Amino acid sequence: MALVALAIVSALQPAVPATRAEQATQLETELRCPDCAGLSVAESTSASASAIRAEIAAQLSAGTTPDQVRQHFVERYGQWILLSPTSPLAWLLPVLVVLAGIVGLVAWLVRRRSVLPVPATAAAAELQRVRDEAEALDA
Amino acid sequence: MRILRWLLLPLLVIPLSWVLLTGFSVNPNEVPSALIGKPMPSFTLQTLSGSTLSSTDLAGRPLMVNFWASWCGPCVQEHAVLLDAQRRYGDRLAIVGVVYQDSTDAARAFLDKHGDPGYPDLLDGGSRLALDFGVTGPPETYFVDASGVVRAKQWGPLDAADLESKLAAIGVSG
Repeated sequence: MALVALAIVSALQPAVPATRAEQATQLETELRCPDCAGLSVAESTSASASAIRAEIAAQLSAGTTPDQVRQHFVERYGQWILLSPTSPLAWLLPVLVVLAGIVGLVAWLVRRRSVLPVPATAAAAELQRVRDEAEALDA
Repeated sequence: MRILRWLLLPLLVIPLSWVLLTGFSVNPNEVPSALIGKPMPSFTLQTLSGSTLSSTDLAGRPLMVNFWASWCGPCVQEHAVLLDAQRRYGDRLAIVGVVYQDSTDAARAFLDKHGDPGYPDLLDGGSRLALDFGVTGPPETYFVDASGVVRAKQWGPLDAADLESKLAAIGVSG
């Protein structure tokens, strides 16, 4: 199950961009605009977003890798500057919680059935009693 | 199994209550600084008065770096505290303002209207220094100790109590 979750996480990771322009666009999409409400740098026209775009372009032109550019902003703003969490735990934890919930629910249902068994003879007797009452009413 | 059932409720309720209580006591807009405990970013910038100021010129003294703008309402509210800070602590503390995404003329007009504390104001064209400090919007103030390490950050306008507690973090007291 953990392997399946890891595969899902890997599938969610964006493909590595090839050109410098694509790398810049990718970074602008990943980084949060510092003075906007929940917008990425790519989506914002604010002065801060423009400054970050200029910084990304300058750093990539100077030969800095996208990972290093990302790290540059994380060192100044913390993980907050990244719109998506980098820790795989953030992606795996909800899956694990849902799985634990399903396991718990199944265990509870199985236990409930075993605690309250309905004997076959008792069920048949009850059915017969209902039939008798129905017939009596019809009569 | 019975013990587990009794433990289940506190195991769920206590962590959930802790998360809610701590979550509600935090301003969701406030971003904690990643610079706390790290050296202050270095800079060499022009000031409003036309001179050049470098971070090395300020070395060896506790320092307060205040990012502000004339268009920022809370900066007006904070300005009286900054005027008072320069008057009270100016002999032991270096204070530097940084004009954040604003024009020189508008910044000068703000100081003419609300009072010039007398400390230098840096012109951060291109917001490079703001990005280096991790500023999310004015007013924001960073408190740097005499060895050049950032010790505290104020998000939003400073009041007298904030000023006192954050100056204490860089070894400046009343």
